[in-house]
Amino acid sequence: MEKKRPQLSLDELHQLKWLLGGGLTLLAVWTVIYMDIDAWELMGVVTVAAIACTLWPTLPARVPPFAHVLAFPLIVAFFAGDLWLTASPLPAMVRLDMLLLLYRSISYRQRRDDLQIIILGLFLIVVAGVLTVSLVFAAQLLVFTAWALAFLLAITLVGTAEGPGVESGKVKNIAPAWAVHADWRRLVRRMREVADWRVLTLGAALFAGVVAVSALLFLAIPRFQLENSLFLERLVTKKAKSGFNDSIKFGDVTDIQQDTSVALSIDVTDRTQLPVSPYWRMLVLDQYENGTFRLSPVLRRVAFGGERTDTIVHGDARPRLGASVVWTFYLESGLSRYLPLLGSFELLRFRETQNFRHGATVGVLALRDEPLTMTAYRVEGFELADARTDPTFSAESRRRERTIQTWLNVSADDHARLDRLVSEITGGAKLSAADFSRRAIAWLRQNHGYSLSPVVPRGAGDPLVRWTASREAGHCELFAGALVLLARDAGFSSRVAIGFRGGTWNGYSNSFTVRNSDAHAWTEVYDPAAGAWLREDALEVPKTAQETETKSEAAIAARSDRSWSARLDSLRIFWYRRIVNFDQRSQIETLREVKNVAQSSSRQLRDAVAETIAGVREWLARPWSLARGAKVAALIAFVAAAIWGTLRHRREIWRMLAKGGVERRDDPVRADASRWLARLRATNIPLEKAETIAVVGELQRLRFGARATWSEPGRTFLRARQALRAERSTRRRINRP
Amino acid sequence: MSDFVQAGQMTEAKQALERLRANMRTTIKGKDEVVEQVLVCLVAGGHLLIEDLPGVGKTTLAYSLARSMDCAFSRIQFTSDLLPSDVTGVAIYDETVKEFVFKKGPVFANVVLADEINRATPKTQSALLEVMDRARVTVDGEAHAVGSPFMVFATQNPVDYEGTFPLPESQMDRFLMRLQMGYPQAADELEILRSHRGGYDAIALNPVITRGDVLKLQALAHQVFVEESVLEFILKIIGATRTETEFRAGASVRGGLALRTAAQARALVFGRDFVLPEDVTELVLPILAHRLALARQTSDALEERRAVGAAVSRIVGSIPTPA
Repeated sequence: MEKKRPQLSLDELHQLKWLLGGGLTLLAVWTVIYMDIDAWELMGVVTVAAIACTLWPTLPARVPPFAHVLAFPLIVAFFAGDLWLTASPLPAMVRLDMLLLLYRSISYRQRRDDLQIIILGLFLIVVAGVLTVSLVFAAQLLVFTAWALAFLLAITLVGTAEGPGVESGKVKNIAPAWAVHADWRRLVRRMREVADWRVLTLGAALFAGVVAVSALLFLAIPRFQLENSLFLERLVTKKAKSGFNDSIKFGDVTDIQQDTSVALSIDVTDRTQLPVSPYWRMLVLDQYENGTFRLSPVLRRVAFGGERTDTIVHGDARPRLGASVVWTFYLESGLSRYLPLLGSFELLRFRETQNFRHGATVGVLALRDEPLTMTAYRVEGFELADARTDPTFSAESRRRERTIQTWLNVSADDHARLDRLVSEITGGAKLSAADFSRRAIAWLRQNHGYSLSPVVPRGAGDPLVRWTASREAGHCELFAGALVLLARDAGFSSRVAIGFRGGTWNGYSNSFTVRNSDAHAWTEVYDPAAGAWLREDALEVPKTAQETETKSEAAIAARSDRSWSARLDSLRIFWYRRIVNFDQRSQIETLREVKNVAQSSSRQLRDAVAETIAGVREWLARPWSLARGAKVAALIAFVAAAIWGTLRHRREIWRMLAKGGVERRDDPVRADASRWLARLRATNIPLEKAETIAVVGELQRLRFGARATWSEPGRTFLRARQALRAERSTRRRINRP
Repeated sequence: MSDFVQAGQMTEAKQALERLRANMRTTIKGKDEVVEQVLVCLVAGGHLLIEDLPGVGKTTLAYSLARSMDCAFSRIQFTSDLLPSDVTGVAIYDETVKEFVFKKGPVFANVVLADEINRATPKTQSALLEVMDRARVTVDGEAHAVGSPFMVFATQNPVDYEGTFPLPESQMDRFLMRLQMGYPQAADELEILRSHRGGYDAIALNPVITRGDVLKLQALAHQVFVEESVLEFILKIIGATRTETEFRAGASVRGGLALRTAAQARALVFGRDFVLPEDVTELVLPILAHRLALARQTSDALEERRAVGAAVSRIVGSIPTPA
């Protein structure tokens, strides 16, 4: 009896190949979603066409023949025009690739066309990977690899089934037979019939093997500095998706607040050092004009030094004794060229060489360009303080040169209006900067509520002054700006600081996560007496005494995020830190960790074995009595008898457990008989010997016969074994020269 | 199934079938497979439709079987003017007894050869429906049992369709099997040429088994054991024909039962008291092919048979065989 495995017919293989090709096209073109290249319309067209033609495979036959003739020249012309108009090579190449995929998806494909789909798809995936290095890319690459392997298998199976020299898909405008009779439900049903767990397991194991080998190669191969080799980035016109820029209009920060994606992730060697309410300061804006704060040219000139190209930045914080806390920042791409910082620092180290300008006096570090990939930097020795000393500004103030802008830049009417408000706040008293700020904040909170959809009253004059004088609700930018105007009117130098406030502790990745929704603006007021800029946040919740203690584990635990989004974030963080930013140092660290784990595991195993041996020795060394010996002997005998009984009578036990003699497919006797029959079949022995024929008959009876007619199964299996040996030895004798 | 085939019964069955097989082989040369399948059909208690060209031995086969058994044989030549009463019989008025007396038709035999069955009108063809299903004829409200065992051997020419009436599906479903004889091998044909036989009436065969033996064999076939996985295998095949889009309709429940019964009969013919999956796979085509009609139109009947055969083979190939 020959066991037949179900197989897909040639038509079904064609259908499967068509489906996989369509799926691969979609997988490839959907990279546009996160690639930030202007090809959305084209992606929509390809998606619709690929889905339609995949589901209804007779559709390509309706494409008029001249379309196939004109397709290639038109695509080339489109590419040339695109390149000429946009002058951006990579997006044009991406669109060209998509057009080719579109053409391949709406025409019947030969083998080489199927392979082209893989190559074209791979190009898109690689470009997306180089440009974004995102977690989506990682997931897509995995799916693409598995899909492409399945597609290649289908191509091979079709080729094998068709035989050499025969290939369908040569005539583009006539639907082949498989397309005419295509039935997806039937294919699904047939796939389920054909699917065999062994094949699926083998496929999964092969895929896992490919991934494992890739991972090993990734870990083992020497690392190169690739940032200067990846030319693809330079072929794209760079643009940031959002940004903290030199100029902030009211509403800019609020727009970012609507976005809950991760903006910044921070590793810290001592998490107790995290402030309860950290301010991740990025930039200060000192010049105000009609609702817009910007970095004034004076401050830019005075505060920032020349551009440097280095991996190390020395800060103005004084070195302290002992091991300093190390903060590793991972700033998301496209956010800003200004790096978030907690305060003054001793040392900042980039992972790669960067072009930057450091304004030490204003505490701002600016890269030359907004990075399009994640930027990682490590900071040591942060000085965490609410006030920030600024000797430069202090000296400038003393010289009354007012290099740092403190003027209001509002009309006389607005000035008068602000004067009235300041009088209301101070009550005519002469206050220090800190006292004035405290009173002004109390006054602002008393008169304004918080809202992400503020209303600025209509009327003449400066919009910020109008809002300040009103009782309308507002957001952080309005509060910060209003405080700046009030402070300046009262004679205190002040400016707006922007960045992020707060964040959550990710319990899965053990890192601090700051989201775009944590974007914030606050005020810095200069206190001449202290010679420092005071951080004044009109929206800060007054701290309790306990919270002012920054080193609070409980506070961190309270902020710990263990939601599903935190899990996803941790995965993304893993991707960026362990894979994207896997450099030589990480490689050494990983290998060292592997070595440590191996050593510690081996040590634990040795200890456990030694402990067990010692225990046995100690147990054996105990004084033996007749009763103890008898107990041990009885136990050994019992265990041995149980094992022997189970092995000897497993079939009978199974029969006892089987309900009322109901035939079951997993009857062990039938299963054993099936195995023996398979072994005899596998030898391809011609059933010549009477004994072998008899044994096969008995085995068939055990497998398919009524149980009441069975002979002793054990004896039959023994005979089967002997018959198999006899046949094999006979065959060896015959084959021997 | 609680009642199993006893060893003694099995031995008797083997001997009877061997005698029958050997006897038929003396006249049917080189067609051992066809002979085996005819025996399967006989043991299963079914009716047989033989489709082939004229002159390949269809009638001889039927005659050989009938002569090998101690059974009554009759032949009906189906023509377009044949009436149902010509087949089943008719009630005529008997002047002597002053009442209608039923005059039995040729269907009252054990083996009935319905030659060129598709040449009769559908009305006459339908006269066979009851007798094939229930082994009885009802005339004027009175039921008359035909012979027991009862087997219809129908023949038809698949090529010449001029002036024929294709058998309706209900009629086709009543045939257990459809077989093709095919041309004999050259050596066998040479042997046939050497013989001096003159028509099938000249066939001199002695009965080797009795009607009682046939009835015992038929009863024994029902006791042949069918293991659960084999039943599931049959079920999957039948189910697959119902979901196959190439067919207008799948196999009927009667088709599934026929496959099981025929598999049991085949096991008995091969000397086993249990069914192997190969019994099923070997019989799928002769049992199911004539019960299935293609959803699409084909150029001729031969093309349709080829397409149905290919689809059935594909279905069988797609279902895992119990091992």
